[in-house]
Amino acid sequence: MMRRERWLSLGVLLLMAALWQGLSMLFRAEAVPGEPMVPGWQVLATRTLLSMADYWPGGFGVPGVVSGAARSYAAAGLAIVGNSLDTIVRLYTGLLLGGMLGSGLGLLVSWSRWTRRMVQGPLQFLRMLPLLAMVPLFQLWFGIDFIGKIMFVAYGVGVIFFAGVVNAVGNVPQIYIDNGLTLGASRLRLYRSVILPAIFPELRASVLLSLGTGWAAVLGAEYLGAQSGLGYIIVYSEQFGYLDRMMLMALLFILYASLSYAAFDALARRLLAWTPQTARGIVIE
Amino acid sequence: MSDAAPMVLVSRVSQTFRRADGQKVRAVDDVSVQIPEGQFVCLLGPSGCGKTTLLQMVAGLLAPTQGEIRVAGQCVRGPAPERGMVFQKDSVFPWMRVIDNVEFGLKCRGVAKPERQAIARRYLAMVGLAAVERAWPRELSGGMLKRVAIATVFANGAAVLLLDEPFGALDYVTKRQLHDVLLTLWGAGASGGRRTVLFVTHDVDEALLLADRILVVHSGRIVDDMAIPAPRPRNSDSLLLPAMVANKHRLLAHLGLEVAPAVPVLAQ
Ligand SMILES: Nc1ncnc2c1ncn2[C@@H]1O[C@H](COP(=O)(O)OP(=O)(O)OP(=O)(O)O)[C@@H](O)[C@H]1O
Ligand SMILES: [Mg+2]
Repeated sequence: MMRRERWLSLGVLLLMAALWQGLSMLFRAEAVPGEPMVPGWQVLATRTLLSMADYWPGGFGVPGVVSGAARSYAAAGLAIVGNSLDTIVRLYTGLLLGGMLGSGLGLLVSWSRWTRRMVQGPLQFLRMLPLLAMVPLFQLWFGIDFIGKIMFVAYGVGVIFFAGVVNAVGNVPQIYIDNGLTLGASRLRLYRSVILPAIFPELRASVLLSLGTGWAAVLGAEYLGAQSGLGYIIVYSEQFGYLDRMMLMALLFILYASLSYAAFDALARRLLAWTPQTARGIVIE
Repeated sequence: MSDAAPMVLVSRVSQTFRRADGQKVRAVDDVSVQIPEGQFVCLLGPSGCGKTTLLQMVAGLLAPTQGEIRVAGQCVRGPAPERGMVFQKDSVFPWMRVIDNVEFGLKCRGVAKPERQAIARRYLAMVGLAAVERAWPRELSGGMLKRVAIATVFANGAAVLLLDEPFGALDYVTKRQLHDVLLTLWGAGASGGRRTVLFVTHDVDEALLLADRILVVHSGRIVDDMAIPAPRPRNSDSLLLPAMVANKHRLLAHLGLEVAPAVPVLAQ
């Protein structure tokens, strides 16, 4: 059954790739001379890939294009790895920071019913605020380098975690808390052994949401002021009408997003082995 | 604590709920009762008469709207491990394996891992669940879950046991076996004394077999307070003693199943 589903999704993927190829052959319009609006796979796999070498500043014995060397696949590969790493490190530092601060704050606020009620209003307001509108603000506050970007990602993700934790704690059935208390649990023990595991299933949705938001945030931050990273390559490409490079970046996002999703999913499955079968089926599959 | 002072003292306690539709419910209505240390008390009464509410107040999970509850001389202000509670609803933590559930109270008290594991295993064996100690609660039946909850509370060794229909979901055989487990535990209190038990049930025979004293609850009030002096250990034959038969008729009359000759109603 699982195997058949896998084959099915692989088939759909191949179909989409073929469709793209068909489109590229049908629409031959060019953004600027020599740059197709819909780059086919033969372009992406050769010229586009090689063009990545432009983003390699040189190092590891592979000279950069800026210092006069010809484009090479080695430089292109290094450029992809290097820029991807830049973005991913920014993303995960921000995710980690935002996740910890957001959930920590959420747990703190959930300490009493009063504090929980107090933050309910401002929380709605924070969630409504469009994230990308805040990019310039964060740049002015924290600068356009590393700190500015991770703070921005942390903010975007932190709001999600904060809201997720506050809601989830509010939904923990009273009977579990009562059971813990009559068995002699301290407040701290209650948080560790009852509230945290009880909110985890609900929090999983927040984590998945924050993975998406995290990507959006880190790219947004890179659009507006970065000298490296996938977002930087996209903005740079846009200025010259290099649609093929933008497409290549999109493919990389899909790859990274799928990988992180799969990794988290595997982790969640292990941590949530206790949940009833049905709930697991609906949310994950 | 002197022998005269009651272990559980409930004085003029009331609890009023306001339902979502605005209607007020007087779940417990001006109840007073004294329970000496070591007494096994059964609470009997129709559904919705306030038994769970009363038990929750003694547990400290619910503050009385009026009145005061004292346990071992101390005013009850919140839950404490000296008052163990088996809940009517499912309370087993679904994210802990069976044995971790049973160990939980001991862990809270800082009992070392090997020791608490040994204790948990002993109680799991007593309730007949030795084979499933590594199972997840979702893999157990309703009656098995109930037994996990019972083992958890028993393992924690509280001086006062508050049991809200603990055996309601169980088959007859398991129920009778667990009666013996409960009675053994009752007799094995701290320093050789007996524990104090408040046991809610709908089962008249169960109450007669277990109790020193039966409190009949109706519409939030205690309407009868019966001593059950039959000798222990009791068995099915005990129910045939003339005094027991009389008590049973009286209880059935309270539940509206029999018209009894002049049931003495306790003055409130
Ligand atoms: N949290 C609550 N909010 C509003 N009303 C409540 C609440 N808890 C209990 N009640 C009401 O109080 C009354 C007594 O409830 P309680 O649960 O104590 O009954 P019970 O004697 O335990 O019944 P059963 O034998 O069915 O368990 C009922 O009328 C019930 O509707
Ligand atoms: Mg009840």
